[in-house]
Amino acid sequence: MIQLNNVTKTVRSGSDDLTILDDVSLSIPDGQFVSITGASGSGKSTLLGLIAGLDEPSSGTIIVDGDEVTAQTDDKLAQIRSEKIGFVFQSFHLIPSLTAYENILIPMEILGLRDARGRATQLLADVDLTNRGHHYPPELSGGEQQRVAIARAFANSPKYLLADEPTGNLDSKNGQHIFELMTELHRQSKVTLILVTHDHAIAARAQRQVILKDGRVISDTLNNEIGDQISG
Amino acid sequence: MKFILNLTIREIRSSWRRLLFFFLCIALGVGSVVALRSLIQNLTKAVGTDARALLTADIELSSTNDFSPAEIAKIESVIGNSTIVEARNETITTAMMVRPADPSNESVKFVELKGIEPPFPLVGQFTISGGQPFDFALLRDNGAVIAEILLEDLKVKIGDKIRIGEGEFTIRASFDEEPGGTNGFRLGGRVFIEKKAFDSAGITRNTGRIRRRILFRTSDNPGALVRQLREALKGTTITTASYREQQENMGEQFTRTENYLALTGLLILVLGGVGVWNVARAFVEQKRKTVAVLKCLGAGGTRVISVYLLQILTLGSVGSIFGVGLAQAAMLFVKWRFVDAMPAKMTYGVSLSTGFQGAVLGVLISLLFSALPLLQIRTIKPKLLLRDENNSSMTNLDWTKWIFGIISLAGLLGLAVWQAGSWKVGVFFLAGLAITSVILYSAAAVLTWLLRRVKRFSSFSVTQAINSLYRPGNQTRIILLAVGLGAFVVLAVQSMQANLVREFDFSRNQKLPSLFFVDIQKSQVEELRQLLAERTGEQPEIIPTVRARVAYVNGQPFDYTNREVRQQQGQIGREFAVTYREKLDENESVVSGQWWTASAADVPEVSIEEDMAARLQVTAGDSVTFDISGRKITARVANIRKLDLRNTRTAFIFVFRPGVLEKAPQSFAATVLRHLGATDRQRLQRDTLERFPNIQIFDVADIIATVQRLIANFVLAVSFVGSFVMLSGILILIGSIALTKSQRVYENAILKTLGAKRRVLAAILFVEYGLLGLLAGLIGAGFATALSYAVSRFVMNIKWEFDPVGMLLGIAVTAFLVMAVGVAASFDVLFRKPLGTLRSQ
Repeated sequence: MIQLNNVTKTVRSGSDDLTILDDVSLSIPDGQFVSITGASGSGKSTLLGLIAGLDEPSSGTIIVDGDEVTAQTDDKLAQIRSEKIGFVFQSFHLIPSLTAYENILIPMEILGLRDARGRATQLLADVDLTNRGHHYPPELSGGEQQRVAIARAFANSPKYLLADEPTGNLDSKNGQHIFELMTELHRQSKVTLILVTHDHAIAARAQRQVILKDGRVISDTLNNEIGDQISG
Repeated sequence: MKFILNLTIREIRSSWRRLLFFFLCIALGVGSVVALRSLIQNLTKAVGTDARALLTADIELSSTNDFSPAEIAKIESVIGNSTIVEARNETITTAMMVRPADPSNESVKFVELKGIEPPFPLVGQFTISGGQPFDFALLRDNGAVIAEILLEDLKVKIGDKIRIGEGEFTIRASFDEEPGGTNGFRLGGRVFIEKKAFDSAGITRNTGRIRRRILFRTSDNPGALVRQLREALKGTTITTASYREQQENMGEQFTRTENYLALTGLLILVLGGVGVWNVARAFVEQKRKTVAVLKCLGAGGTRVISVYLLQILTLGSVGSIFGVGLAQAAMLFVKWRFVDAMPAKMTYGVSLSTGFQGAVLGVLISLLFSALPLLQIRTIKPKLLLRDENNSSMTNLDWTKWIFGIISLAGLLGLAVWQAGSWKVGVFFLAGLAITSVILYSAAAVLTWLLRRVKRFSSFSVTQAINSLYRPGNQTRIILLAVGLGAFVVLAVQSMQANLVREFDFSRNQKLPSLFFVDIQKSQVEELRQLLAERTGEQPEIIPTVRARVAYVNGQPFDYTNREVRQQQGQIGREFAVTYREKLDENESVVSGQWWTASAADVPEVSIEEDMAARLQVTAGDSVTFDISGRKITARVANIRKLDLRNTRTAFIFVFRPGVLEKAPQSFAATVLRHLGATDRQRLQRDTLERFPNIQIFDVADIIATVQRLIANFVLAVSFVGSFVMLSGILILIGSIALTKSQRVYENAILKTLGAKRRVLAAILFVEYGLLGLLAGLIGAGFATALSYAVSRFVMNIKWEFDPVGMLLGIAVTAFLVMAVGVAASFDVLFRKPLGTLRSQ
């Protein structure tokens, strides 16, 4: 379960304070596939980053699987991410000095998992990149890089998978492929999937859709209600 | 741990090229420290380890006077009571003119003549050319054994006859290396003859500059015996030395030299450290995203820092080992290039302990200088993956950084103290470095500020180039400091050399004599005057000289049992040539007291040169007692005199008021100012010796050529070290270019998109680094000029002249070097396609 209570995030912009998230409260049960949509600057990515403990809110609390991520040291947050959270970025963020295979290996080595190599090989196969494992990120296409990023996110069998516009940098064919891959892995592993996207078609396929505007939740609906909300 | 090790190996695999400069900075620094230390250590081993062999005995008693019967009796009574004396001999040495007996051979040469008696040597080996041991029989019946180099200089061979003083000697053998022969500066090669031949050839009769030695070999530690001898000989002019003390003194000198050289090496290593600091900063900057990803994937800050620390340690270690290899290569270079200037027994290896010490130093410097940049990793937050805002905390100094900064500084101080072998020198080194850095840095700041003022008057390329110098993260001032420091060292020694060489330049210094004649007897004066006038066309200056030594100062003898006084014995206890005259010379000025008037004085009076007065601790009004041929004359110090050595024809330390020395046994000295060609000089020397074999002639031009050679070697050595400092600066420059390269690529992509042609971008690049080099050259030349002025005027007391050509050349070379390196390291940027760059941003 992920619980956000009255989360606000303010940053300095020049001499002014800019509110990115404004009193957001959300509760996401385990195993749910949630999409978060909204215009640019509505606070989607910030919300995702706060859940992952990549940044801290200005006020409010966030509880992930019983751990209050807003009250932890950097190292404890790192440990929580290592054990429970997988993250996929729009711009992949693979480590350029490591091969695709090694990028998948890294989270398992951080956690100290046994048989990390075998699992990395399996994950490469799962994302259909068995023959590309020894390539470095710049030698891979965007779609391939994102598949490596997804394999990396799943490496430690996280309870929560957070994806920040994972198809945003890809063409529609590759985007579709990545989306299918993520939903398939979600189905198989029962992971909680929180997906930030601009794409309404993709968002519509989630079990629950949250819409943000100017840092506030303006809509939070389950799948069968989505059509009505948008048209209304 | 596995994660740390694995990631370290993978990172090194992919990043080693980027860290190459890190590696080079450390290698160069360690190489300098190890090479300089090894050089002096090996020199010590080659010349200094066996003071006993240098002294050719265990105890040496020496005097420039003949040992009086009373002195001999004192010596014998001490030695007679000792049970450890095994053998004894006597030697007598002087500098003397030697010429071949064959009248068709016009060679003439100044040599170091040594008269010996068996057994010789008391300690050590003496092997003559051909490998046989020296046999005293070679010297009997006017035989001579001469240094091999003299065979060439005098154009003679074994079996030929040579003339020394009034005697004729047959060359029986030659040698390459003599016992006790490697120390000190010499006027000429060594010639051995029998001791008693000094008398038969009239050398002892006619020459004052003779040193007599009594040597002893002992079977045990001679310390107690030396103390007894010193006590017994108190108040005499005899110097007592033991090999153990010599060894101690030499050991101290070598250790001091070694430590000072090691500090020079440390300076280069510290500059290397600045390079390391730059590279580490660039590295952390480039790795920000990777660090954020690792943190995002769950790696804690400490583990991530460990990965990069291990990487730095690995590269530091490998760089250090490579540096030790470089040092070995440098030693082989010294062997190849300077083997002739080095002692024959010199070895060219780097010892294991020195290599290890250098490697430890390299690793420590790597750690000290990369600690602060690596600490930045702590502040990198994974959120930058979401929003790459400027991480404001990157530039702030927090408490941890302060603490680490202070630890780094303390560590550096520790290294300086360790290398200097002294707290005081270590602290001075670091403080000196800090002050020099602040001054150079301030100069750099002022120059860059001025540059910014003028940019509005310049073209687009120049404006952009100047802007580039202010690019965030650019190490403009640090580069100026480091490259400027290198240029400063090189240009300062070059400028000092130019002034020194000018000082010894005959064509400019008309007062410096070209030939100097001494030991002229009164009966020979007129005839010699005629000969010299005939040959040179000028009237030589002829000065009476009396040989005297200082016996008492204010009635007290020197206390040579005091170590400090003993260390000055060479300067104060020796025999001086003194003169008497009515007038002050034109190169002299009185600094205290009064020059005498023509009226008669109630007591003898003397004028003393100011440095000697300081050494003797006397002022005008004090009394100094001189021993002149056994007679004691007490003179009042009438005045203290300053000698202008730049303008000198003769330089007398002691000048008496006329009326005292006229009756004392005296000889005359003559100087010839006119500059004759080498052949004429040699012919004149030869003809003088034919007629007056007792006269000694100093060919000043010859001596000065030797001194100039020494200066040139010294300058070469310092310039060599200076060029290493410069190289460190260049490495810092390259590190800085790497640091800001991504920014430059991005700027160039934008400028290209906006329509800038490659030619314009290339011009910006050339102007930027050309300006940087120009400023560094200006800083180096400016401070080098100031230092060379200060040293010339206030330390060496020589005339100083500004050397515009040398300085302009120095500035041009520095500017070109920096431009060439800067452009070469950035040239690929010009050929990048803008789209790829802009997309990846």
